[in-house]
This record gives sequence, structure tokens and C-alpha cells, in this order.
Amino acid sequence: MKPFEIQFPETIEQTVSLLSNNNSQIKPMSGGTALMLMMKAGVYEPESLISLSKVNILRGITMNENGDLIIPAMTTLSEIEHSNLVLNHFGVISKTMKHLANVRVRNVACIGGALAHGDPHMDMPPLMTALGATIHIKSKDSSRSIPIEGFYEGYYTTKLKSNEIIESISIPSLKNRHCVYIKCTTRVVDDWPTLGVSINSKLNNQVFDSPKIVLSAVVETPTRLLSVENLLQGKSPSDQLLQEAGELASISIDPQDDARGSSTYKRQLIKIYVRRAIQKSLLEKAQS
Amino acid sequence: MTIEQAEFGRTIPRIESKQKVSGTAEYMHHFTLPGMLYGKIFRSTISHGKIININTDAAQSYPGIVGVITGEDIKKIIPSPYYGPAFLDQPILALDKVHFIGEPVAVVISHSPHIAEAACQLIEADYEELEAVYDEIEALTSSAIVHDELKPSGTFPDLKHLVGRKNTNIALDFHLRYGDSDDAFTKAKHVFEHAFTTQQGMHTPLEPMVSIAVPGDQSITLHSATQMPSFVRLEIARLLGWKENQVRVKSAHLGGGYGAKVYIKLEALVTAIALILNKPIKISLTMEEQFYTICKHATTFKIKSGLDESGKIIARDCKVYWNGGAYADIGPRVAQKSGFTAAGPYDIDHVSIDSFEIYTNRPPAGAIRGFGIPQLVWAYESHTDMLAHELKMDPLEFRTKNILKNGAKQATGTVIEHMETELVLNTLAEKMDWGGTFDRGTGSIRKGRGIAIGFKASVSPTTSTAVMTIHGDGSCLLAMSTVDMGQGSDTAMAQIAAQTLGISTEKVKVIRPDTDVTPYDMGTLGSRSTFHMGNAVKLAAEDVLNKLQLMADKAGLDKNLAHSPDVILQKTYGMQAGTVVGFGSYKPSYAPTDLKTGASSNVTPFWMVGATGVEVDVDIETGHVKVNKMINVVDAGELVNPKIANTQISGAAVMQCGFTFSEEMLFDEGQLTNGSFADYKIQGIQDVNFPMENICVKSNHHGGPYGAKGIGESGTFGVSPAIANAIYDAVGVRITSLPITPEKVFQAIHMKNEG
Repeated sequence: MKPFEIQFPETIEQTVSLLSNNNSQIKPMSGGTALMLMMKAGVYEPESLISLSKVNILRGITMNENGDLIIPAMTTLSEIEHSNLVLNHFGVISKTMKHLANVRVRNVACIGGALAHGDPHMDMPPLMTALGATIHIKSKDSSRSIPIEGFYEGYYTTKLKSNEIIESISIPSLKNRHCVYIKCTTRVVDDWPTLGVSINSKLNNQVFDSPKIVLSAVVETPTRLLSVENLLQGKSPSDQLLQEAGELASISIDPQDDARGSSTYKRQLIKIYVRRAIQKSLLEKAQS
Repeated sequence: MTIEQAEFGRTIPRIESKQKVSGTAEYMHHFTLPGMLYGKIFRSTISHGKIININTDAAQSYPGIVGVITGEDIKKIIPSPYYGPAFLDQPILALDKVHFIGEPVAVVISHSPHIAEAACQLIEADYEELEAVYDEIEALTSSAIVHDELKPSGTFPDLKHLVGRKNTNIALDFHLRYGDSDDAFTKAKHVFEHAFTTQQGMHTPLEPMVSIAVPGDQSITLHSATQMPSFVRLEIARLLGWKENQVRVKSAHLGGGYGAKVYIKLEALVTAIALILNKPIKISLTMEEQFYTICKHATTFKIKSGLDESGKIIARDCKVYWNGGAYADIGPRVAQKSGFTAAGPYDIDHVSIDSFEIYTNRPPAGAIRGFGIPQLVWAYESHTDMLAHELKMDPLEFRTKNILKNGAKQATGTVIEHMETELVLNTLAEKMDWGGTFDRGTGSIRKGRGIAIGFKASVSPTTSTAVMTIHGDGSCLLAMSTVDMGQGSDTAMAQIAAQTLGISTEKVKVIRPDTDVTPYDMGTLGSRSTFHMGNAVKLAAEDVLNKLQLMADKAGLDKNLAHSPDVILQKTYGMQAGTVVGFGSYKPSYAPTDLKTGASSNVTPFWMVGATGVEVDVDIETGHVKVNKMINVVDAGELVNPKIANTQISGAAVMQCGFTFSEEMLFDEGQLTNGSFADYKIQGIQDVNFPMENICVKSNHHGGPYGAKGIGESGTFGVSPAIANAIYDAVGVRITSLPITPEKVFQAIHMKNEG
């Protein structure tokens, strides 16, 4: 790894003042688990890293009066995993954490980095997209809040500018909706996902009411499967409907061959995992 | 002398445990010296080519750089800088040609490893590219020739016929002819032929290779994470034209070895640089650089069997092609010494084996846990299972009918002794409840079970020696060059010494390998230490006892009483003083294999046996395979330390799970495309969180120390084919190439369903 400079500002204001509009070689760093891999591999060679680890205000999970969950950027994944607030109101996040990378990564990686990194093979982006989360962003001169849906633009590219940091993410109350996330790994269990599916749905009078289905990892960015959502909308769940949903999902995406699997195989996984995700969602809902 | 409790056969915690858990154990990675320099290796970016120019100017003038060394610089102090255990084919740094992507071409030296790394990126090399070959089968006929001429070390009689061979990528061809297989095949009722492949993989010791060289007055001291201190001394002395006593090699605790740290790895390189610069120099590889240093052979194995009406195998023909990569390392010995067991632990009257070590333009392959046996068992036990199914026989019954038993001849002609194959197979069947009912699963999850058994001959001939010293108070030092790399050899040897001397294990201090202090040992490899060094330690302890007895007699101590060593020394010297030194040397008998027929009347001092049974779930919609239960049964003779034996088996089995399911070095035109642990996947705890039971059958090897023999590799043998056989049992598809990925299984199921 090439030598580089690292700075530890203590406030958000100091942090954003160190970032530059036009120099991508200066980068904010949260847990650094993904960045270190890229730097060790020589894929990314920064001049300077701005660590957010001393910005204490970026920690601590809270819930507002509307029941929205607010997670500041430097909250570690294991803090989220072990939070009772999260468990009681967004069990799907707690469950997802148990199978996100491994305990060593979760102890260090933070939600801000997990959202900003933009690697398609991650668990938080599709789940947060299905949950309809909002990302709160800060730069030297301004603040803005944007929905996570649409935040991702491609491999390692997001709407975040090089002078901006993620300050927090807020997740709206699920109310009477239910959300699941399942993933498939094809090399080892704790590998980055080959495929992820998250479904946020509810049944109204035994029929699907505006289900939201987000597919990830087999696609460059978390992607809503609108055709499948439309297929389910207003229909009563049945084995055949779920089968059709899986099949429709598998032809609505054009996955690429890579080390995790061929395009053909990935289509098969989409077919099976979309069906299984809906099944899981119905089963959990029935049991709750 | 009497002992309260047997030291041999007792579960004693590892004697180094406290040091390791308290972080005080010494590893080479932590070792530093005042004024020590660091080297960073610049590597080839092409698969095969002539070196036209290496421009090191920019690196040389980078601030903080002490020097840049190339192969030509090394030639100035070592005129013929080629090394290797059997073939002198590997230059310390590339000379004239490069042979694989990742081959060391130059080394940048600095006081800081980070500065060295930064400057390393400034080196530019120009090559004239040559045609390259990567596949072991293509290499047989390719016009791309990796080495212009074979360079076997002339000192080995069995390699002499290879000297001077040109226009071939076959580094070594081993042939075995037992009976008349051609004739037997014509008489066979059934003949089946299958082909199997395995992938290139890596050892992945958690401590990557690291060596430090310290130049002295007409001498050099090496501190190296090596499994073979004695060999390193010999080979460095040979390269320098020095005497063995001018080279001192010290080893430490190793963070795993698995065969990656045998023979020369970084030792010749740091030696040459230290002598050129006259400064201590350290080179530590990164995890990722290990991929370009030594690997596990990829193989293709074509196997054919002829059977009679009753299901007896009467003939077997084996053709094994080992992808050795660009340098031979110990690969030719893998092809030979494991090759002769390629027909499996079966009693077959007519066997033909051809085993080829093949050069390709890939990173070199060598020894790795099992020394080629897991690749062979993968093929012959998948094949054996297929034969059973073809004949509609139960796979256990078919194996039992054909198994090689004590008293029968193995294909080399050696009569089998002290090898409990039948007992191992029966124990496995019992533990698997093979005759009982078995739930086949429902819906998308189908269940299956499979078994496999393999065997290995301990590599021969090799020598171990040990020195044991008794101090005036009766405490004891054991000096030996066996390297404890996590397998527990220090504890095991201390137990053997203690058992022989009649003292407690805790009284034995084991001296870490240091060739100025610890006597010769061939190396810590191939599960040989417990047997060979164990015998040497026992002999050394017996030598001590004999000397003590003579001293006791001379000192006039009562012959009818037992006297402890301290009493004898006190009586002899009149105070707490003196030393008693015992020496033990052990080299088992051996008859070399015949060059044409592979025949030998005494091919190995002992046989290792390992069998595995698994129960699996197969998800027919995705191809995912989940192991639900694994049982490993081995014949390890009498156990020195049951707990360590058990963890050796589980460690070996888990490692082989990696080569079964996930570990595969992927190449694109010779370029490794997954050379990091982000993409080269070893097993994680969640991959192996199934119940595993390890059993050592009741066995006693009469030639072993107190009946013991080796155990470090036996847990690897049966794992891969047992899993493939279980998948077949579950869903009726046969996987013939490793690793077994979900996609491969799914595609096979899909093909079968399509008809």
C-alpha cells in the first residue's frame, strides 16, 4: 500500500471543510473496511483520507415522534445489530445484520460507509431502498436530503459529490407493512451477495397492497421490479402467482456473467429467490 | 525408573499454548534487527518471455531506496543461481526469461517496506513475449515449451534419464506396471472409464512466507519461517559453494505451513541480497503474494477399470497429469511418490499407472497437505462409486469386496502391513448407520450420503535425528529440527521423550530449530515427524538411559534399585553438575521403485488411511449443497495425544472442504484474476458449522514409536469424493471437476432433467 495522509477532524464542520469539490483523491472514511481492501489491492490510492471516527455527533440511534428511525452515519453495523430500538421496530434490519459480512467487519464498518461505497454487492442499499429510507447529506455550504431510491448510479457511483458526506439515514415507520430481505451467496456463506431481494409489502383484504420489490447485486444498482410489483398488486397470494412473480423477475433483468455466476444461473437465482422472498414475507406476516 | 502415568497417549495441552494465547510466542514476522533493510519484489507481468531490459533507474533514485537487485546482480556472487529440490530450474530472480505472471524479477531495498513498495512500482521491464501454455493437457502437445531443457539435479539416480531432454513440457514421467492390465481388460466383463479434474489452489497459511538473512564473517544466518531448516542450510551452502557450518538456519513458531514453507522459498533471495549489500535483509510476503510463490497442483486424471461378473476390480489403468506450473519445486516427487497409489486402496491384480509432472506458464505447484493424494482420491473414489452404481451394488459393499487388506500386495508389489483399511471402512459404515433408513428429503431439498476412502504412503527414504541432554537436576532438553507449525509436534515429541525417560512431559524443554544447535532432519512434511522424528527421539532417550545406567553402575549405585537421573549425576559428580547427551538417528529401510515398472518390495515405512462419510442437503432449485454431518475415520496407529490427533483430523477436513467447495485460482491467459481473499474464498466458520466426528481406529504400527504413525493429512483424503458421492446419492448427478460450486450442481441437475 502506498503511503497516504490521514486526518481526524472532530466536528462535521471541520470534516466538510477538508473535503474538496474537485479532488477525488481526498476521501472521507468511515469504518474503512471496504476502502482498505481497495487500497491494499492498489485499486484506489488516495492522497488523503478524512476519518470520521472522531466526529462523535455522528453516533447514536434515535426514533422521532413519527416513528422514523434515525441512524447517524458513524453508527457501526454491530451497534445497529444489537440495538433494541432497531429490533423492536425494524426486525428486518437486525436479522440482515446477522448475515452481513462477518462479526469483525460489522464491529468496524459503519452505516454511512456501507451506503456511500456504492458496491452493488452489499446488503444495506437494497434493504434501505425497500424501506423507503432518506439519506441526509452535508457539505461545506449546504445540507440536502434525498431518497435512497435513485441515489445509486452505477458501480461505485452515487449522487454523493466529492465534497459531501452522509450525515445520517432516516427510515420511515413501517406501520402495518412488513419487510424482508434475503440474499444468496455462491462462493462461501459470508461472501458478498450474488443476489439480494428485499420486499416491503402488506396485504389488504387478502390482496397485495402496493408491494415494493427491490433486487440487488445481480444488477448494478438496487432496482425496483415494477413489473413484478404490478403483477402482485391487488391479487391474492397463491403458489402460482408467486411462481409467475419469480419468472417475471428473472426476465425483467439482464444479469452479467462474473465470478459469482453466469448470467443464466443468475436468472435462475432471481426466479427462485424472488419467489422465496415473497413466501418468506407472507409466512412471517402470518406468524406475527 | 517408573512413571506414575503414561505420557504417551495422554491428552496434554500444547506446551506452547500459554505463549501463543498471551502473545509472547515468537514469529518471524515480528523479528527485527538493528539496521535491517526490507525488500519488496517486482514481479513479471507476462506469462512467458525473454527479458530485454529491466529499467530500475527511477526506482534507484527514489528517496529512501538503498538499492535495486536483479537476477544479473545475483549472478555476480552466485554464478549459477538455480535451486530446487529435484530440478535445478528456478533462478533466485528471473534470468534471461520469465515463465509466469508474478515471477520475481527484481527486488527494491529500503529501510521502510512502504518506500520499497512505492519505488517498486517505478520499475519497467521490457520483454519479448513467447507463446505460453497453461493447461496440463494442452502442454503435452503445445508448441509452447516452458523450459528449453530439463534440468534435473544429477544427484538423483531416478532422474538421470531426464538430463538434457528438450522440446518437452513433461518434467517427469512415472510409470507403474503391475500384472498385465492390457490382457486383463480384454477379459473383463465390464469396463468403465471416467475423467476427473481438480483446480489450482493455495495453502493460505495465516503467516505468509518471511525470511531474514544476516551476513556474518564468511557465514550467514537465516531466520526463516521454514518447515525445513536442515534442507535450507544444505541448499544455501550448495548455492554459495560453502560448507554447511557456514550457514545457520533458525526457525520459529510458524503460523501454519501446509507444505507452503518447504524447500527454498525466500531464503536464497534474502541470502543473495544480504551478501551483496552486506546488511541484514528481511522480505515478508503479503497474503496475496503467496499465490505467486507455491500452489496446489491442478490435475486431470483419466481412470479406467475392468470388472469381473461378481464386481471384483481386476484391472485399473490410471493416467494422471499434474499441472506443475513454471518451476518443478517438489512437484515431480508428488507425481511419483503419490502417483504410485493412484489406483486406490484396492486389491487389484493388474494395474497400470502413468503419472506426469507437467510444466506450464502458471505459478509453481508443490507440496500441500496430502502431497497430491486428495487429487487422486477425488478421482478414484468418485470413479469407484460410479462403478458400484453401474453394477447396482451398494457403494460400501463394493468397496469392502475390493479393499486392500494386510498381507495383500499394493500395486508396487510391496506387501501391505499395519494398514487398517477394513476396520476404517467398517467403523465409518457403523458411525454412518449405513444399513439404517435414511430420510431422502422433500420439496426443493433432497438428501444424500456418501463415503470415500483413501491412503497414502509416507515419503521415503528420509532421515531424522535428535539430541537429548540431561542436566544435573534431571531436567531435559530435546534438540531437534522438527518445526512446530501448529500441528503440535513439540508436545508430541516431548511426550515420546518423557515416556521413554520415565519423567513427566513438562520436564522436557524442546529447543526450536536452529541448525547450529539442533541436528539434521529431512523436514517437517508429509506427516512424517511423529514416525521418523518420534523414533529418533525415542532412540536418543534410550541412549540417555543406557549412558545413565553405565554411570550408575560406575558410581556404585545399587543395581537392584531404580535411580533418577539427578541422583545418578549427583553421585557421579558429587554435586549438581554434569551433562548426559543422548543421540538418536532414524532412517527406515526402503527399496527404490523400478524405473520401468514402479515395482518396489518396500516402498514406504508406513501407510496412512483416511475415510470420510457425509450427509448432505442439495437444493435442487439453486444447486446449493449443505453438509449436515461429517464423519472422518483414520488409521493413525497409536495416538501420542488424542486431542491433538482429533484437531489434526478436523483441520485437515476443513481445509479440504475449501478445495471441495470454494477455493480455486482463476486465470485469464495466465493472469490470476482472483488473487486476493476478497475473491479467493477459503471456508469461513459458517461454511463448516456442521457436526463433525473424528475417529481413530484401534491400530498399532509396529515400526512406529510406541506404535504411532502420521496423522496430519489423513483427514483430507476422503472429503471431496464423499461429498460428490453424496450429491449423486441425493439428486443423481455426477460432478467430475472441483470445486463443486452451486452453479455446477444446478447445471448438472438441469441437464439431467432436460434429458
